Amino acid sequence: MAVVPFDRSVLKVNQAILMSVIVVGYLVGLAYHPIAWALPVLAVMMLAAVASPSLNVPRLLYLHWLKPAGIVKPRVRQEDPAPHRFAQLLGGVFLAAASVFVITNILLVAWVLAWIVAALAFLNFAFDICVGCIMYAQLVRIGLLPLSREPAR
Amino acid sequence: MILLLAPLIAIAAIGAVVLLLQIQKGGQRELVGSVVESAGQDSRLPSILYFTGESCTICHTAQRPALRALAAGIDPAIKIREIDIAVEPELARRYRVMSLPTTIVLDGSGQVTEINVGFANGELLHRQLVDAGMRVAA
Repeated sequence: MAVVPFDRSVLKVNQAILMSVIVVGYLVGLAYHPIAWALPVLAVMMLAAVASPSLNVPRLLYLHWLKPAGIVKPRVRQEDPAPHRFAQLLGGVFLAAASVFVITNILLVAWVLAWIVAALAFLNFAFDICVGCIMYAQLVRIGLLPLSREPAR
Repeated sequence: MILLLAPLIAIAAIGAVVLLLQIQKGGQRELVGSVVESAGQDSRLPSILYFTGESCTICHTAQRPALRALAAGIDPAIKIREIDIAVEPELARRYRVMSLPTTIVLDGSGQVTEINVGFANGELLHRQLVDAGMRVAA
């Protein structure tokens, strides 16, 4: 995977949406349990974002509204987007697992999984600590994930 | 109201993972003072192992230039070996590399004297090489 110009603001918008929906959803969910159905919606949003940039709702929101309005400024870095995509996939998988527990009405486990995603999103949002990216590097190191041999630029 | 436990359990789970990572990091520190790889250390001079990877941005933008600048100012016989963890995963495993970049300073006998996890600047590495036995021109 090549090192390319990559706008980190898209990630920040994604993390802000995740944290807001999960925390607000959880607080509302303490009194109104059906709000837990927001978790499958988030799972679909995350997995769709990994599948295609055109289905990436936070990216579209950023490109068509937040960036033109000057609400969020671009933060372009030269880096490989693959670790971030893997981290997003991981978040999507956690939320998909949470969705299974919503369907089976085991809400405690569903919200635990959602809170893990929210906490990891917070770490990345506030401190640029991307746990999914660290896991990606470890998986590459032990040979479970392939890595292209294109030279770094 | 059992749902009130959800954030606490999540934070405890993340805390446990962070603790495990710290323990692993501690495991790497145990290598200091030991010889991990006896072969390839024939010059009796200290050397640096630089662990990097294709996806490691800071390796390419900061660590590699810092090492090149360091290499230009020291004895050319002192080896700075760049190791791509995807190409040599076994060596990375033996040195317990968990994060990139990692630079490991070896003395003339191949004994680990310093382990730097994350970016290490040229000044620090120079000092570590001196501590590992590099002669400084008067």
